[in-house]
Amino acid sequence: MRALILALIAVLALATISVFVGVSDVSPLAVLTGTADSRAMEVLMISRVPRTLALILAGASMAIAGLVMQMVVRNRFVEPSTTGTSESAALGFLVVTLLVPGWPLMAKMGVSALFALGGTALFLRVLRAVPLRDVLLVPLVGIMLGGIIGALTAFIAYRANLMASLLAWNMGDFSGVIRGRYELLWLGLVCGVLAYIAADRFTVAGMGKDFTTNLGLNHNHVMVLGLIIVSVVSAVVLVSVGSIPFLGLIVPNLVSLVIGDNMRRTVPWVALGGALMVLICDIAGRLIRFPYEIPIAVVMGVVGSALFLYLLLRTPRHAT
Amino acid sequence: MNSLFRSTAIVAAFASALSLAPAAIAQDKVIAHAQGETTLSGVPAKVLTQDWAAFDNLNALGVTVAGVPSSNAPSYLADKIPADALQIGSLFEPDFEGIAAAEADVYFVAARSAAALETSKDIVPTVDLSVDNADIVAGVKANITTLGEVFDLQDKAGELNAALDAKVAEVTAAAEGKGTALVLVTNAGKLGVYGPDSRVSWVYNNVGMPSALADVADGDHGGDAVSFEFLLEVNPDWVFVVDRDAGTGENAGAAEALLDNELFNQTKAATEGHVVYLDPQAAYISMHGYQGVMLLLDQVLAGLNG
Repeated sequence: MRALILALIAVLALATISVFVGVSDVSPLAVLTGTADSRAMEVLMISRVPRTLALILAGASMAIAGLVMQMVVRNRFVEPSTTGTSESAALGFLVVTLLVPGWPLMAKMGVSALFALGGTALFLRVLRAVPLRDVLLVPLVGIMLGGIIGALTAFIAYRANLMASLLAWNMGDFSGVIRGRYELLWLGLVCGVLAYIAADRFTVAGMGKDFTTNLGLNHNHVMVLGLIIVSVVSAVVLVSVGSIPFLGLIVPNLVSLVIGDNMRRTVPWVALGGALMVLICDIAGRLIRFPYEIPIAVVMGVVGSALFLYLLLRTPRHAT
Repeated sequence: MNSLFRSTAIVAAFASALSLAPAAIAQDKVIAHAQGETTLSGVPAKVLTQDWAAFDNLNALGVTVAGVPSSNAPSYLADKIPADALQIGSLFEPDFEGIAAAEADVYFVAARSAAALETSKDIVPTVDLSVDNADIVAGVKANITTLGEVFDLQDKAGELNAALDAKVAEVTAAAEGKGTALVLVTNAGKLGVYGPDSRVSWVYNNVGMPSALADVADGDHGGDAVSFEFLLEVNPDWVFVVDRDAGTGENAGAAEALLDNELFNQTKAATEGHVVYLDPQAAYISMHGYQGVMLLLDQVLAGLNG
């Protein structure tokens, strides 16, 4: 518990730094003493605070989605972007943007979430047909499925001259976040809370279908709840800021290494860890080429792939 | 009588052959371009192009084009494309079989299709009209001059180039003392900045509006990524917007919606109504085309005087 509070303090500290990193001059001292000019306060309220909130919400919910995914699939190396979920969400968003461009963002996101749900269900379906449950084969199948869905998406975008747009909104980037443009991410928080409430069920489901049924739980219900959570989070994050690679993979794994697999205990850690990682990467992306920005997807790609390799290489020892 | 007629005919044939031969050799033209030299025999009759800016230039000179790219036609050129024009592949991927079958006299590539020259030069005489973004106006003028030579339209080329110079001078005069400029590119809800080496570099380099920024890296098509807060801080006097989504086919108006927010509305450019939306297709797709550049210069001029 004490460690958790420390982690919370770390997130708050980074959030504070995030609020005060930017092109405009917003001095922490002036804000605290109430002497900041009106423009600094405006920048703070319109740009900095929403961006920081978006970072925390997206980071926490993507990490939790990864955790839920890993429980449901019973594999450590899956997350929405290695199971075709993110790609399906992107396909859904593209299709709805093409067919009914005038729909409100909420409705488009709904379609995107439905596609994500369908894509994830397809992944599970394919998995059932794969006899070998090799630890690395599962994400490989997911990445291939994601590749096929991604290719289909790219084909449609190419035909509609939307390649550039597709690339741009697939690339996770918080630079466009201001008040009024991130609020959908609160839905991610709702999903996170749902995951926490159902944590014990997911823990049990993570032990297998027979085990779950023996305990009197309906395995399918748990699976569907998990898939809905993962799909909604993927869609919300994609539509608001783009996809953030590796996040849902690495955070739950690191947490599991330290404190095990009881989801009731790990959810708060995963949420804080996700927020922490996204905050660090975004602050770095804002500082490296100041005053220009490097999209978080790029920073996370570099950091995430290094951590992913580390996790992969140490696995044989860990898994056997 | 008969033999006299025959010998006369032979002499006449010889004479005409003699008079024709030097003319035919004189009409062989060696055209220097971005990727070397290409020899053309005579004035090309059947012309293909893989690039909308090249089409724009050919059209400005009054040359009829027989083959055009099959996608991304800028709307300002739409009614100038012959209805029976062959479609020879996208901006990036030429349909080489179609090009070979067309048996054209010349084929123009540029920018996105420059790499096609390696393959196409064995099929059809190919000329690369790529332009260096560092000085777009000079590049466009050089291309007009080259095309004037190719099609024996030197006079027309001279007129066009004089008109372009005059337009640039007019805009330069209007821009004098109007303050700094920033060219923004919007793309799927994100913002980028275009600098003095970008595809609209003439705003800074030729028209002479100082950039509101010291240095901008133009390596990326989307410009350098920035936040709204950044715009507030840089606070340019004039903002020229390239709506890239519209430039590549999405609904126009996305840029206005994106920029209509509490931060951008506080910038000097926004409060004084100094935000000019440029024709996105001319600025993004055919940025090296004569008529496109003239169109954009007119839009900048109208904005500055408006």
